[in-house]
Order: sequence, then structure tokens, then C-alpha cells
Amino acid sequence: MSVSPDPDVSTTDATGSHAAAEHRHPPRPRTGISRGELAMVVLLGALGVYLLLDAANIAVPGSANTIGPRFFPYLVGGVVLATALALGFRVLRGDRGPSDESEDIDPDAPTSWANVGVVVVGFLAHALLINVVGWPLAVTLMFALVAWALGARGVVRPLLTGGVLSVVVWLVFVKALDVALPGGILLELATDWF
Amino acid sequence: MTQQQPVVVVGHVPTPRGRAALEHALAEAERRGARLVVVNSSRGDALVDEEYLQGDPLRRLHDELTVSGVPFELRQPVGRDVAEELADAVAETAAEVLVIGLRRRSAVGKLLMGSAAQRILLTVECPVLAVKGPPATTT
Amino acid sequence: MGALGDLAGGLADALAPVNLLFALLGVLLGTAVGVLPGIGPAMTVALLLPITYALEPTAALILFAGIYYGGMYGGSTTSILLNTPGESSSIMTALEGNAMAKSGRGAAALATAALGSFVAGTIATLLLALVAPTVVDLVIGITAADYFALTVLAFVAVATVLGSSPLRGLASLGVGLYLGLVGTDVLTGQERFTLGIPQLSDGIDVVVVAVALFAVGEALYVASRLRRGPVQVMAASGPWFTRRDLRRSVGPWLRGTALGFPLGALPAGGAEIPTFLSYATERKLTKHPEEFGRGAIEGVAGPEAANNAAAAGVLVPLLTLGLPTSATAAIILVAFQSYGIQPGPTLLSTESTLVWTLIAALLVGNLMLLVLNLPLARVWVQVLRVPRPYLYAGILLFASLGCYAVNADPLDLVLLLVLGLLGFAMRRYGWPVAPAIVGLILGPVAETNLRRALAISSGDLGVLLDTWFSRIVLGLALAALVVPIVLRAVRGRRATPEEVQAGEGLRHRESVGAGPGEEER
Repeated sequence: MSVSPDPDVSTTDATGSHAAAEHRHPPRPRTGISRGELAMVVLLGALGVYLLLDAANIAVPGSANTIGPRFFPYLVGGVVLATALALGFRVLRGDRGPSDESEDIDPDAPTSWANVGVVVVGFLAHALLINVVGWPLAVTLMFALVAWALGARGVVRPLLTGGVLSVVVWLVFVKALDVALPGGILLELATDWF
Repeated sequence: MTQQQPVVVVGHVPTPRGRAALEHALAEAERRGARLVVVNSSRGDALVDEEYLQGDPLRRLHDELTVSGVPFELRQPVGRDVAEELADAVAETAAEVLVIGLRRRSAVGKLLMGSAAQRILLTVECPVLAVKGPPATTT
Repeated sequence: MGALGDLAGGLADALAPVNLLFALLGVLLGTAVGVLPGIGPAMTVALLLPITYALEPTAALILFAGIYYGGMYGGSTTSILLNTPGESSSIMTALEGNAMAKSGRGAAALATAALGSFVAGTIATLLLALVAPTVVDLVIGITAADYFALTVLAFVAVATVLGSSPLRGLASLGVGLYLGLVGTDVLTGQERFTLGIPQLSDGIDVVVVAVALFAVGEALYVASRLRRGPVQVMAASGPWFTRRDLRRSVGPWLRGTALGFPLGALPAGGAEIPTFLSYATERKLTKHPEEFGRGAIEGVAGPEAANNAAAAGVLVPLLTLGLPTSATAAIILVAFQSYGIQPGPTLLSTESTLVWTLIAALLVGNLMLLVLNLPLARVWVQVLRVPRPYLYAGILLFASLGCYAVNADPLDLVLLLVLGLLGFAMRRYGWPVAPAIVGLILGPVAETNLRRALAISSGDLGVLLDTWFSRIVLGLALAALVVPIVLRAVRGRRATPEEVQAGEGLRHRESVGAGPGEEER
């Protein structure tokens, strides 16, 4: 399913094992132009151009002596484009943004696009399934798929955890807090008397 | 293949049952004149795993094993199930015996949680010595 | 004193059982998410915004405020015991607190953090109650141009001061402003940037953007670089808080509060700078300079107090001006708006009961937090045994809930995913997320005031600099924008206060962690 973890079989003594752990985290060289960063800058620049061009298409109703709905978009478009140019200049000179730190992030791990893909597909599928099979079931499938992508084992536990959690959450939010969420035929019949 | 020193593998966690397993494994290794392979593994899927030895407790274990005089090796694999890790360690070292600590658990608790011990018994290729922790521990 | 009388009235309301219950729920949730990796108070409040459809305003806002305060306490616990500062405002706590825990003074570190947070939170919340009416008196007469200047200052401050790269902060702000523009122009009824999609003519819902950038973005980012293996938990061992610890902590607590509250209250806020300043101050003033970097109690007490005081300070511009200066404040503003309440100078008079109950509930919640955290810090760490796969799958489950509940439209979930991918890319390339949220929420406010000002002046841009107030505020904004660039040009490297202090922090961490057998993060 996901990336198979690399078992770190360590050496005979305690300090040795930790030295090994530290060797796995060499400082990553922060030089060179990052293609991803450049893509972000290009997208930002495109957003700026789009804002400036499309702002000209906003219909302006009569009263001419006040500024209309175009002014602020022009302003934002200008700022965005200027930022993109300045950032592009810096990125081309090799500047790199510090990627976000988080407790569950391994900063030196290569990006696993497969994992991202599984999460994206799982989420998209659940979005399309909600109105068909109801929120609890759709979200249970998404939950299990995401859990597998992130390294959960087995079939039963992810599905069971997701199922119990989604039904409990559904009951709390729909029956107690009156939030609109399709429950799917079974669940709605079963809780009709509520 | 030359005649090698026999090996005893033990699954250790810093709890009373892990303690009991370690003590029995040390005795077993001494009796057999064997080398001791201590496996302390973690699934590594949560930010906190208090059964994974690090820092001072790790150093204390290391010192204690050194003092015991039994030749030993300490392994701390991360990322897989403890049953898989122990089975691998046993297969790789051609161990004579595996020592594990058993949780004292009710029938219901076992039904809900599955059992690492059961999976170990089913997969491991050598005799298994299962040790219970002191009865003072909770159900 | 009028404010104290109002506060007493608010206290009576806050002590009603229902409100107490929501305050307790809030601080429990807040501490839990503060402890948990990947989830912060901003994300939690965003995920819980749908309950504003079901709860009355007082209950919901007390809940959110409890989460806001609780997040700080939870963050300090993990900083000390695990050396994992969840937010940059906890870096200093992690630095000294974890060193204290390593040398067997964990219990004292946790105690000074919890007590310091309580002292600072209480003083700062009382200051909030005292200052708010005065600020309202001062700003009640400000013009639209002045207000526009304030929003510009908030934009620039959030973009360049938070985060580590001003340009990337501006880029993020620009994205947020764009997302705020999508939809129908309020003043003329014209559609803007809707691409002809009818669902977009109502604009992009703030809940969708916030949940996407925080929750979905984080989950995708974690999926892309999943960390394996646990971190070392330090024991909360050692002698408990002694009389000597108390003597050494009181000064830093009070100084941290004095730094944190005003800096948090400025619309240039956030909690990072006060914590860095507090740390630097304590290091200068201490009688035990040799302990700094090796676990000085002053280095935990001061920054923790500053952190909490700043959190209360951030509420001053939020409640008196409707100006959010942090991501969580921005989401709380959305909660107000979803009840049809627009925080601003008139809030204190029109929603007086609500505001005073909220402030009183903060005092009560702060006391609850002390009781919950002082003896139970170790228990909270157990929350971290939740396996990552289930934690992030659960976050996505709640993201789906929060987003779908807004319009019951699956298209929102697709939009959520698209914006989540944006949040993922932003994290990966170091674009801070907070400016986008503030831009999205404050952008329309800025535009409305700009156009109002220019309508009065018949399009003359000079009106923006008409008053001294707007001149000073815009001057500050310009300074916040230009100074980092000039400093970089002069010194040849990035030199925001954060960068300088963080650099120092990293050096410390290396030297602290150099011993054998230390697991470094």
C-alpha cells in the first residue's frame, strides 16, 4: 500500500544506535534553483496577470465619480504581480523557502507523491460518494484509505475505526446539533425515531 | 557452516512483563552459554511510544547488560510490527529460543485487541518461552 | 470603574452552568489540540465553525476562546517534555524547558510554564477588560481612510513579521486577497472572478478556505513526508516547584506579561516577537547566565508568560476594531460574522453582554487550564499515542464534516481539496498560511473602507493621508515592509528579529544535544 518502512536494525550498543539515527539526518544542501519553487512563482505571476486582465472585464455601473469594483482588484493584481517578480528574482538567485516544520514531518524525507495521490483520490472519491451512499459510509472509506496511505496495517481496524467514528460524529452533529449531513438510507432509517 | 555460539532472542519493553522476560532471558542465555539478542522495537506510527527505549533508560539497560557479562546485542528496529521483527531476528540468528513477556489480560480485552503474543507463537520458528509479569500489574 | 463593573456582570453570566460547561469543553479541546501535532487552535476553531449554526453566540464564542487559550498550555507541555515546539512562539520554551527536563527538572519547568501562563493570562485578560473601553473611545471616531490604513498595517505585519520570508508572506497574502475578491461585489452587485460558475457568485466560503489550508494542507503535507519513529519523552521528574524557583520565576512572568500584552495588542502582533524579546531580556537580566541554554527557569517562565499575554493582547484589536492579527483571531472573527455580528468600535456597546461574558469566561477558562495542566501534564502526553494514520484520517473526516455542513454541496469538497493542495504546496515551499487567511477575511473589509473613503473624497487618493492617524499607521506599515529589506541589504542576510533569535536558538540546541545518546530532531 504505502512506502515500506526501512527497518533500522542498529548496532550493538546504545550510543552506536543513536549515532546511526543521527547519520540519517544529514543537513540538506540548500542551494540551486528549485523547480517547484519556480512553479509556485510562475503560478503566482499568472494569478497576478489574470487579476489585472480580468479586472478590466468587471462591469462598472453608471456613477463615475467614485471608484468602482475594479480599483481594488487592480491593486491586488499589481501587488501579486510585483511580489511574483521579486520572488522570482530571488528564487532564480537560489533562494529557498524553509519548508514548514511539523512534529509529524521528516524534513529530510523525499516527497512521496504516491501517498499524496492516494489521499487526494480517497478524498475526491468520498466527495462524489456522499450524496450516493451517505456521509458516514463515504467518509469511512476515505478514512480507511488515508489511514492505509499513512501506514496503518490490516483491513479491519482502519475500516472499523473510521466506521465507528463517522457514525458517532454523524449522530452528534445531525441528531444533537441539527447539521445537515446525508446519513445514507440505512442509518437514516435506523435513527428515524430519534 | 562452522559451529556458532547459540543465540537467545528476547522481546523487551520497559514494563514489568518486559522486565520479567529480560530476567528470564538472561538466565536462559547464561545456562546455555548463549549470546543474547535484545529486541526493543516500535511501530513508530505515533509521536510518543513509551515502550521504545531512548536516552537514560536506554543507557541503564545497556549498562545492566554489560555488567551481566552475557555477550549481548541490542536491536531497536522502527516501523514494523513487533511480531514480524521478532520472527526476523529469530530467523536471522537461528536462535535456540525466544523469550517474550505476556500481558495479563481478560478474555474480552484479548478479543478486542488481538494478541501480539499469539501472532509471535504462530510465526516464530523456534521454541518460545512466554513469561508473565508480576501479578501486581493491572488486569 | 465602569469596566470592572461590566466585568463583574460578565462573570455572573460566565458562571452559568451552560457557559461553564462550554468553557471546560473548550479548554479541554484546546489543550488536546495544543498537545497534538499537526492540529492547532486555528484549525480546530475552523473545523468547529459549523456548530455556530446550532449554538447560541455566547456558548460558541466561549468554546472558541477556551480552545484559543487552551492551545497555548498544550503547546508548552509538548515543548518541554518532547522538545517539539508546535508553533514558533513556543521555540524558546522548548529550548530552555526541554533542557531543564533533560537535566531532571521537568516538573519545575512544567510548573513555571503553567503558573506563568496563568499569571500572564489573568493579568492580560484583566488588562484587556480595562483597555478595551478606552481603545473604543479612541477609535470610535476614526474615518474610513484611517480604518483602511489599519488594515494595510495588519496585512503587512502578518505577511512580513510572521513566517521567515517576507516575500513569501506577501505572496500568501496576495492569494488570500484574491480568494476574498471572488464573488459578488457588495457595493455594486457586480460579479468578480467567478469564471461563470454560479456557486462562486456568493464568494468562496471562509470555512472552506480555512479548513483546506490548515487541515487538508497539513494532512497532505504529512502524507508526503511521513515521519517514522517516536521521539523521546522526558520524564517530568525532579523536585517540584520550590520557593527558589518561584523567586526566580516571578520577575520573568511579570516582565513577559509586560512585553507580551502590548506587542500582542498592536496590529502588528502575533506572539513570536514578544517571546523572543522576553527570552533575550531574561538572558540579560539573569543572575545565572551560565544556565541559559542548559535549562534556565527564567527562560521558560518569561517566554511562556509573554506568549499567553500576547494571546490576550491579540483580542484587543479583534474586539475593539474587528482587526484580526493572527490566524486564530481571524477565524474567531468569522465566528462573530456568522452570527451577523461585525466586531468593530461599536461591538462593546451593541453586544456588551456578549463581550463581557466572553472576557469573564476567559478568566474562568484560564483558571480551569491551570487546574487541568499543573498536575496533569503527563496525562496530556498520552494523547500523543494516537497513531499518525488515524490522527490525520480523523482530521480529514472532520474537515469533510465542517466543509460539507456549510452548504451541503459536494462541490465545496472538491474546492476544499483543490485549496488543500494549495495549502500543501505552500507548506512545502515555505509560504506561511496565516497571511492568506487574514487576507481573505480582512480583504473585503479593507476594500469597503477604501472605497468609502474615496467616495467621500470623490476619488482623490490624498484622503488616505488626511489624518495624522492614517499617516502614522501607513508609515508603520511602510517601515514593516521596507526595514527587513534594508536590513538584508545592509547586513547581507536575513535579519528579522525572529531569524536572529531562531539562529541563536538553533546553535543552542546543537550544543545542548551534542552529548551521546541524545535523539535530536
